Amino acid sequence: MRVALAVVSLLVLIVGGVVVFDQFESRWQDHQAAYFHQALAQAKTDAERAALESRQPKIEQTIVTAFAGPGGETRIDRCQSCHIAVDDPRFASSKQPLATHPYSEAMGDIFRNGRWERRHKFTDFGCTVCHDGQGRGLDTADAHGEGEFWPAPMLGSTIQTGWDKEIASHLHGKEFLQANCAQCHTAKDFAGTPIVARGRELFFKTGCFGCHRIEGLSTGTLGPELTEVGKERKLDYLWGHLVNPRAYTPTSIMPQFKLSDDDKKALVIFLKSRRGSNPAESPTEAFRLNAAVTSAVPESVIPSEAMTAAAETSTPRGEKLIQQYACLSCHKLDARDGGISPDLSYEGLLHDGPWLMDHFHNPRSRVPDSNMPAFGLPENDFQAMAAYLLTRTAPPPAATPAETYKSLCARCHGDKGDGRGINAIYIDPAPRDLTKTEFMVSKPEARFLASITLGVPGTSMPAWGKALSGDQIKGVLDYVFQTYVHEPRRQLKPRKVPEQNPVPMSAASAARGEAIFLQRCTGCHGRKADGHGPNSMDISPRPRNLRNSAFIRNAPDRRLFESILYGVEGTAMPSWMDYGLAQNEVGDIVNYIRSLNEPAK
Amino acid sequence: MGAAPSTNEPAGPPAQQHGDHDTARQIPRRNFLAWLSGAGVVGSLVAGVFSTFVFMKPRVTYGQPNRFLIGHPEEFPSGARVAIDTKRVCIVREGNKVAAISTTCTHLGCIVAPSQTGFQCPCHGSQFDVDGNVTGGPAPKALAWFQVSLTPSGELEVDKDNEIQTGTYLSV
Amino acid sequence: MDLPSNVWKSVFRNPLPSSDRGRAATSFTNFFLHIQPVRVSRQALRPTYTMGLGLISFFLFVILTVTGVLLMFYYVPSTTQAYDRMLDLRSSVAFGVILRNMHRWAAHAMVAVVFLHMCRVFFTGSYKPPREFNWVIGVSLFLLTLLSSFTGYLLPWDQLAFWAITVGTSIAGYAPFVGKTIKFMLLGDATVGQEALLRFYVLHVVVLPAVLTIFVAVHFWRIRKDGGLAKPEEAEPAPKPTVQVEVLEPAPVLAGAAGSAVSAEPARRFSIQGLVRGPFVKVGKLEEDTVFSWPNLLIAELFVLLLTIAGVLLVSWVFNAPLEQPVNVMHPPNPAKAPWYFLGLQEQVSYSAFWGGIGIPGIELLLLVLLPYFDRGKAGVGRWFARQRILANSIFLLFVVTNVILIVIGTFFRGANWQFVSPF
Repeated sequence: MRVALAVVSLLVLIVGGVVVFDQFESRWQDHQAAYFHQALAQAKTDAERAALESRQPKIEQTIVTAFAGPGGETRIDRCQSCHIAVDDPRFASSKQPLATHPYSEAMGDIFRNGRWERRHKFTDFGCTVCHDGQGRGLDTADAHGEGEFWPAPMLGSTIQTGWDKEIASHLHGKEFLQANCAQCHTAKDFAGTPIVARGRELFFKTGCFGCHRIEGLSTGTLGPELTEVGKERKLDYLWGHLVNPRAYTPTSIMPQFKLSDDDKKALVIFLKSRRGSNPAESPTEAFRLNAAVTSAVPESVIPSEAMTAAAETSTPRGEKLIQQYACLSCHKLDARDGGISPDLSYEGLLHDGPWLMDHFHNPRSRVPDSNMPAFGLPENDFQAMAAYLLTRTAPPPAATPAETYKSLCARCHGDKGDGRGINAIYIDPAPRDLTKTEFMVSKPEARFLASITLGVPGTSMPAWGKALSGDQIKGVLDYVFQTYVHEPRRQLKPRKVPEQNPVPMSAASAARGEAIFLQRCTGCHGRKADGHGPNSMDISPRPRNLRNSAFIRNAPDRRLFESILYGVEGTAMPSWMDYGLAQNEVGDIVNYIRSLNEPAK
Repeated sequence: MGAAPSTNEPAGPPAQQHGDHDTARQIPRRNFLAWLSGAGVVGSLVAGVFSTFVFMKPRVTYGQPNRFLIGHPEEFPSGARVAIDTKRVCIVREGNKVAAISTTCTHLGCIVAPSQTGFQCPCHGSQFDVDGNVTGGPAPKALAWFQVSLTPSGELEVDKDNEIQTGTYLSV
Repeated sequence: MDLPSNVWKSVFRNPLPSSDRGRAATSFTNFFLHIQPVRVSRQALRPTYTMGLGLISFFLFVILTVTGVLLMFYYVPSTTQAYDRMLDLRSSVAFGVILRNMHRWAAHAMVAVVFLHMCRVFFTGSYKPPREFNWVIGVSLFLLTLLSSFTGYLLPWDQLAFWAITVGTSIAGYAPFVGKTIKFMLLGDATVGQEALLRFYVLHVVVLPAVLTIFVAVHFWRIRKDGGLAKPEEAEPAPKPTVQVEVLEPAPVLAGAAGSAVSAEPARRFSIQGLVRGPFVKVGKLEEDTVFSWPNLLIAELFVLLLTIAGVLLVSWVFNAPLEQPVNVMHPPNPAKAPWYFLGLQEQVSYSAFWGGIGIPGIELLLLVLLPYFDRGKAGVGRWFARQRILANSIFLLFVVTNVILIVIGTFFRGANWQFVSPF
């Protein structure tokens, strides 16, 4: 016992001693000592020497009250505890941490009377206002914000632990600091922030403004607001999100835009500069600024002739607008392909004027699950663009079925016919997987021909009959069956399915149908019958959205009855006859589904 | 309680209770162990008290820094007597000589105001001459002079942690 | 000059004891020692019996008080400054890191050790009469410890703190009738914000420690009054008592409870206690079974104290207390987790909000408090896992294991969206 006591008491003494000793060891003291030593060697006057000799290493800090820091109100920057020579021009060629902060006319520094004068004095601005990092830190990792938890690592120089290596390799460079310049220098043509301006341009050119709202800039509502995105997100997230939005949010509907690395960098820097309130604007000014943004027309268009050329509806103007409004960062038109949304090259054949205008005003009025935002542009611009699109009536060139499939179908249905074309993930309902034999061999050829010729209303499948001849369509269908379906068509036993719903439509019938629906169908189709039931994410193809009016109204009773009673081969839809649903119950359900899709009175 | 010690531990472990069963060899060993334990405890206590004092003395403050820049020498023309109240210091320039005089009254810490004759305290009427020497009132000693230096970037820097002899100027 | 020795004698009334009389006198006359008995049972000194868990809990409390008071010198309970002060502890405050680490780890350790102490008391049957009420105080102390730790959790004002408290107070909000009110009173606002920070701060540094101190004092006092630590009734065959002071009639309260086994035994009691109502103290019925507190108990206590300090210091030297990013009320982490000791609760809540968060814990707590009033048999007291108590011990073990498993699941096996994930 006594031995143990002695051991433990000495252990406490030793650990305590180590802890105490450790408090008097810091790197910044060594840096300051080195600075004093070097400065003393360069000192010219006795006064200078005396002043240097009287100095002891101590924590140097700047208290900045004008610019709020990330953690609280007052910014305290202790960077100069290590970087003590930032304002000593004699250390211009020294290595960090003992180097002079460069002087530059671009930052407003003035060369006068043989010496530089700073425009942004460290005593007024501190360091982290421009550089980010953690001003209070006195340890390199802390101060530079290397720990994964610090929200503002040094812009363009510090890579945090845990950042993806590939992404991080793009995040080096002084240009990232422009995001912080733009906090105060908010004018979009400010000479010091060309990359922010470029990013701002891209924000409109790429169509970001259509979905995202930024206070004072844009009014989109389909995606998250980006007004304070620079405060909430770090560089690696912004970059990674542009590369692949679904890597961070698996359910994101944001398309993967085709951007060069320079474009990504400009956008990331622009987004990083969005931190909501900025010190240069008083709240009233910000309010005035916001009030001014009532039009949804992005600033990339405003200076162009779009606003000046009054109600002109010439087709060349429409073509120009389609370029300017960033339509092609998603859609395909001739050789340009955004790889996200349908091909517009044959739009004049496939759709008519009213369809286009309805779709412009609200894309979901025609394709209920479209991911295209309602851009809310001026009416005459819509008309001009529609006028141009209606001129696109040149039919696709005659070619072999294989080539036709490749040029018209593969973009959605995929080169392998598996329904995974480049833009398939953005299309809802998803393109049919043509390799699902179960489904393909159990449906009559007439159904496929009808789908291709007339299109599938309420989906992105257009009526190819308007652009292709009947022979061409038959050829493509045969090609599909030869290439992707390796089984012969199955001859199904005749099914007992009524042509017309035997249960007359009535409120009572729909109510009965709803009761059965809530009991049996909501797991996949959802309580609102919108196809978003709790199991829907795990099912491929996804359950049908039964509120897709365009689709449902076009589907005959026979098809609905067959799908419910016998199930749909190659999908998760079971045969409800086997689960005991009688025909009159199915009739109630069909009435319920129809009642959901009745045109509003 | 009053029982004789020897009857107290008929079956107890011999060496680990108290003194009665010690052999001559065990006593020095036990004393040594007691000494060691005592040293450990007392040493830790001393370290603890010392640490507390180190802890209580702030390494940084959240108020105005004691060493600060006041601008280029040109901003103070000859004959200037500029009181910077937020820093509690008065910058004096005569010819090419610059100095910084404290404006904190040495009596009870009020802020003195520069006047024609030197400095005047508004609280209890202490008076000082232009160099800060006491000329009247209850102030016990002259106003402090702080070290002024020229930084390598050409700005004047006052160090309030460094008091210097009255009348010591910096030539610029 | 007699001055030094006079001063010394005025402070320490006895010289360092060399005789048994001196040892007794030292215990009697020293303020810090008088809480302890003059003689202490050898059973109570056996490390394998108590494992020093109660003492460790107390010493952790002392460490927490000392480090906590020191940290208060640099802490500001303000939403705009609290996090900055955490950063300052890490950079510009001498000993800031080690103090915060010590406070954090000691707080976690205290929750764990107090719980283990409770387990020890149960498995040795030490809550049996006359110690029923001390068990109830002990359960209260456990709850106070949890509350102290929980209120302290918010103070760094980082994401971890903010969301843990958001989740934790929401669990409290499930209580029937009063839940919403309690949550509102605790937070002082609809959500966690400046008011909540201030309230948690006051609770953490003043209210809870004060209540805790009083309960600890009563807990200690009752240990003495209930006759020291519980020991087996018939540990060894009893030789004849060497001294017979005075045998009083058994008090009526004892007769029913303890049964004839007590009254049949030759017992030595202090006469003064004949005047006091309540259970009697049977001071060391066997002389051979006890040793002097000075130095035996003191050395043991000092050893435990130093061991506790050494442990906390070492852990704090090696591991840093977590500090996540500053509060961002717009971005909850996924999953948002309560402090680890409430993760069992959170895990239960994920099955059923009311039953998991309030119903089952409420019943468990009620049973814990009422336990000594149901289970009054004398058999198996003072021994670990006594065979006579196999039923009670098994039930309690089930309770302990269930809660530990739930906490382990909640801590390590729950990922984003509270999905089951494997930590390996």
